[in-house]
Order: sequence, then structure tokens, then C-alpha cells
Amino acid sequence: MKLELKNIHKSFGEKQVLTGVTFTAEGGKAFGLLGRNGAGKTTSIRILMDVFPADSGQVLLDGKPMDYRKVGIGYLPEERGLYPKKIILDQLVYFAELKGMTRKDAIAAVDHWLERLGMAEYRNKRLDTLSKGNQQKIQLVTALAHNPDIVILDEPFSGLDPVNAMLLKDVVKEQIALGKIVLFSSHQMSYIEEFCDHIAILNHGKVALAGDLRQIKHDYPRDRLVIRCDAPEKIMAEYGDACKATENGDLLLQLASPGDKQAVMAHLVQTYDVDEVKVFEPSLNDIFVEYAGKEI
Amino acid sequence: MKQFGKILSFELKYFFKNKVFVGVTLLIVAVLTVVMFFPRISDAIGTEEGGQPQELPVMLVKAPEEGGGELMLEIFSALFTDYQVHLTEESDEQVKGSIAEGKVACAFVMTSPTSYVYYVETLSMYDMNTEIAGEALKQVYQMSAMMNGGMTLEDATAIMNMQIDGRVENLGKNQAENFFYTYIMIFALYMVILLYGQMVATNVATEKSSRAMELLITSAKPASMMFGKVIASCLAGLIQLITIFGSALLLYQLNRSYWGGNMIMESIFNIPPELLVYMLVFFMLGFLTYAFMFGAVGSTASKLEDINTSVMPITMLFVAGFMVVMMGIGSGDVETPLMVACSYIPFTSPMAMFTRIAMSTVPLYEILISIAILAASTAGIGILAAKIYRVGVLLYGKPPKISTILKTILK
Repeated sequence: MKLELKNIHKSFGEKQVLTGVTFTAEGGKAFGLLGRNGAGKTTSIRILMDVFPADSGQVLLDGKPMDYRKVGIGYLPEERGLYPKKIILDQLVYFAELKGMTRKDAIAAVDHWLERLGMAEYRNKRLDTLSKGNQQKIQLVTALAHNPDIVILDEPFSGLDPVNAMLLKDVVKEQIALGKIVLFSSHQMSYIEEFCDHIAILNHGKVALAGDLRQIKHDYPRDRLVIRCDAPEKIMAEYGDACKATENGDLLLQLASPGDKQAVMAHLVQTYDVDEVKVFEPSLNDIFVEYAGKEI
Repeated sequence: MKQFGKILSFELKYFFKNKVFVGVTLLIVAVLTVVMFFPRISDAIGTEEGGQPQELPVMLVKAPEEGGGELMLEIFSALFTDYQVHLTEESDEQVKGSIAEGKVACAFVMTSPTSYVYYVETLSMYDMNTEIAGEALKQVYQMSAMMNGGMTLEDATAIMNMQIDGRVENLGKNQAENFFYTYIMIFALYMVILLYGQMVATNVATEKSSRAMELLITSAKPASMMFGKVIASCLAGLIQLITIFGSALLLYQLNRSYWGGNMIMESIFNIPPELLVYMLVFFMLGFLTYAFMFGAVGSTASKLEDINTSVMPITMLFVAGFMVVMMGIGSGDVETPLMVACSYIPFTSPMAMFTRIAMSTVPLYEILISIAILAASTAGIGILAAKIYRVGVLLYGKPPKISTILKTILK
């Protein structure tokens, strides 16, 4: 399965919200949709889910316009909310039925997911009797119960304790392993780095950067070295302004050109007592700050 | 269609599981039960107490010095059937003392054949005794004059009681008979539309403010959601009305003999079946028209606090229509140009046309035109409301202007 958003444009009144947004997500892989607040992530997701149409552009699945009657989409919105005063089972079954399941199948699927997420004991309770984290797990059931082909998770880890975050990670990995398209939107870069093979960074409604995350990192100029050692002073003395200490105590050495990499690494290992020398690769956080923060 | 069915049944279940909805319905039925059984219970209590009729209050009549006491007693007794009328010779002070002690309810002390003093402990707002006494004394005076002129008592009585035969042939409606049920039905229509309409608006705004809407809007089509919610509310309102009116009718049938042909009750429970059909049609269409508008407005409010302000123009429109209709019913003239105009305007026709049908004679083609306009408007408003809903539910913050929403819809 391959999901493509092609050249999507969308405006609300005078405000242009999306301009030529294009990205591709594949089945069996997680895709990270990133951007600052107001960058156009939610609008892109809503167009993808056919909540409203794009002014122009296409949403394609395997190269054909998406047929929403046949494709199941599971969505965990960033703004959590169900019916606080209603029984959990009733509302979960209701949402699963709205997605096209029969009542019998919906009850079975909801029970399966409540069990899987350790929430079976709350089945017949009202939602507002649960903690925030548990309410979030209940909401996750609405995204997964109908066994969707595409799973869209908007800030799925916010508000979860480490144990529940681990549980959710396992669930996400299962969904990826099942060959589904998993689309993440989050500001917690560590989770995106952990799951996503491909990313797209939106900035002011445009795609500022998109592609394979490993390749993006690799494509950065390989002209900086990270050095870990016990006595950094001597190295700093040798390289002067080109060598700076980072927050975690490592040294970051700026090379004159990427071609010097091998020679400088060999020199450092032979001359000083270094524990580790490696080529610097930016974290997703660095990439995000660089691309999402740009004024374009 | 499948989604619409799911939403309809989910929303309908919400009403039947709602303790306030069920509680209010049961409470009204309980009150109706007490009211309808009241004459039976009161009769049973009366029988247990020995079957003696309740003792009537005493009215004293003191004849003038000129005489004529027996004639006065006869006429007063015939006219004041709610009192035991006695002649008295006591002084004014003694009469007042008897009233103060509670032995006597009231007294007419004649100072001459054409003047009297009426003594009573507390003069009720509805005390008509002086008017009746005035008529009675005129009669006494006229009969005395006739008898003084040589007529016998029988001849004088026959002249005074001369009956004029008359016959009314009502070619249209009898407003006196229709007034009560028209009034009750219009009031029920008013209450249900306003209460349930507000409920639809609040329901939509609650879903929006709790953010359940985020999930709903991605799970179902806005038109299915809007129509599902509104029609569920309409059915709930209808079921509640049928339960209340049905119980009242059943309870009245059980106790009919104890009500002794009470005019108001007979009028209310003898509604012509065709009027019930019209009531049903106008209720459904009127309810849907307003509920769609309430739902659309509810979708533009981000917070529940905004609802009251947002729905005010709709409420005002509805109340204005209600006032026009109520004035028409009150005056008895339901064929004024204003009422006729209102019976074709979709926002007022459910009440205005129904009132005209109930209290006047309206040609069938006029009724059909009114229903056709209302049905077409309801469909149009429903479609427009679903479009507003689709845009409104995704807008947070300050409620948007109507022009902004319309621009977005038309785009």
C-alpha cells in the first residue's frame, strides 16, 4: 500500500493554509508528519481523511484516487475527547459501528482491544471516572477497533506514563508489522526517530523537507566530528575555534572539508587518548529546528 | 443511510437512558393520574364519610319593611343554588356577628325594595353574588308590581320566565368547543420545539466542546450526523407527547363517568381525528425546521456558555410567532391578515395554520399549500444546516459570523 498526497492546496477564506503539499507514506512503515503549531498538519490529515476537500491536488492510494468506502482509516486526534458521561463500551461500539462494523463484530473487537490495553475492567464504566491516561487508551481503541488500513496518530504519547507509553509502542509496532500505513504527528522527536522511516516537515503550509529519515541525516555535510575523551583541553588547544565543547561534554570539531575526515580521525586516535570519534549526524530535533523554524 | 440509522438509534437511546427525560415524563404522567382520578377519589371519600352531600354555606336574606320576604326567598333560593338561603329578622349587628363567627357566609339586608347592603367576611375576586342579587331583586320588584296591578303569582311568574326558542346552526367550527384543545396543542408544540431545539443545540455544542466531535466528524458524514441527531430528538419529543397525551386520554376514559361531562375535559378529549393528523404533520415539520436551525447554530458555538446567546435570534423568531398565534386564539379572530400571512411563512405556519384549521374553516388547498411550503423549507433548511454544521464543528474560538460561514459553504 502506498498513500500519496499530491500537490495539495487549501485555503480558508483569505488564508492559504496548504501550498502544494506532497508526501508519500508506505504500508509496513511509519511516517512522521512534523511541523510547528499551525504549520498545516491537522488540515493535511483532515483532507487525507476526507473531512473536507482540498482546493486542488489529489489523495492517492496505490496510485488511484482514494475510495473512502473501501479504505478504513483509524484516527487518534490530538484533541482527545469522547462522551464523558456515557458508558465506555457503548461509545466504543458506536464508533466502531459508524466505521462500518456489525454490532457483534464491534463488541468483539472492542473487547479485544480493551483486554489488550489492560482496560477490560472499565468496560461498563463511564468515561469520566477514568484518569487522563486511561481515557487516552480508551480513545486509542476507537482508532484501532475497526482494523483500519491507515492508522493516523496525532501526539499519541502525550499524557502517558512510561509503562503505558511502552504498551503503546508495542501496539504501534504491531500495527506496522501488520503492513498498515502508520502516520505519526508529534512534537516528541524521540518517538518519531524510534518509529518513522520517512518524514515530512511542514512549515507555513509547505513541505520544507521530506524523505527517508536515515538518508536525510546522511545527506547532511559530513564535515563535523564528535569526539569523546577524558582530556579535551589538548584537542581544543590544537584546533582552536574549530573545536567546541557540547552540552554533554563531547567535542564538536568542524573540518575544513568533508575530505579531511579520515585523516583527522586517524590523527586524533593516534595522538590523543580518545574513547570515541564519529562523524556528526544531526538528531531529528536539530533537523526539525532547522527546517520548521525557517521563515519561508 | 447505515450511518444515519446508527446515529439515530444512539441518540434516541440517549434520551431513553436520560434520567431527566424519563423522570419528567413519568412525573407529568403521575400528576395527570392524580388529576384524572381526583373526582373518583373525592367521590369515594365522600361515600366513606356517610354519603352525605357536603353542607352548603348559609346565605341570610333580610326582607325590607315593605314585606315580600317569601317571594324573595323563593327567587334567591332558585338563583343561589350554592347556598342554603334563609330569611332572617335579626338586626344588622346580629347578622354581622353571625358572619364573623362563621355560621353564615354572607347576607343581603334590604333597606328598601330597591336597595340593599351585602355583608361578607372576605370579598372574593370572583364573587358574583351582588350581580345575581341585582337581577333577582329586579325580578322581585317587577313581579311585585305585576301582582299589585292585579295579576296572580302564577301569571307573573309565567311572564317573567317566558322562554324564547332559538336554534344555532354552526356551518363551520365552534370556537368555544375548540378553544381548549387548540390552546393546549399550541402550547405543547411551543414547549416541545423550544425545549428539544435547545437540547439539540446543547448536544452539538457539548460534543464540540468535549472534542468528541473531532472523532465523530472523521467517522460519519455531517449530513448523517445532523439528520440523525435532529430526527432522534424529534422522535423523542413525539414519543413524550404521545405518552403524556395518551396517558391523559386513557386516564380520562377510566374516570369519564366521575367527571360528569365536564365541558373542558370533553372539549380536550374529543379532538377530531383529522386534527390530530394535522397536529402530527405540523409538529414534525415545525420541529424539524427549528431543530435544524438550533443544531446549525449549536455547531458554531465552541463553549456551552455561548449557546444561549447564539440561539437567541431563533428563539425570538419562534416566540414572536407564538405571540401572534396566542393573540389570535385569545381574540377569537384567527382569520386576520397577519394570521393568514403567518400560516404560509415556514417559521410560523406550524402554529398559525394549525390554529386556523382548529378554530376556523380553511379550504383544503390552503392547507396543502402551507404544508408544501413548510415541507420544502424544512428540506432546504436541513440541507443548509448540515452544510453549516460541517463547517461550524471545525471552527473553534469566537463564534463565526453568519456571512463568514455562508461564504465558506458557497465556496
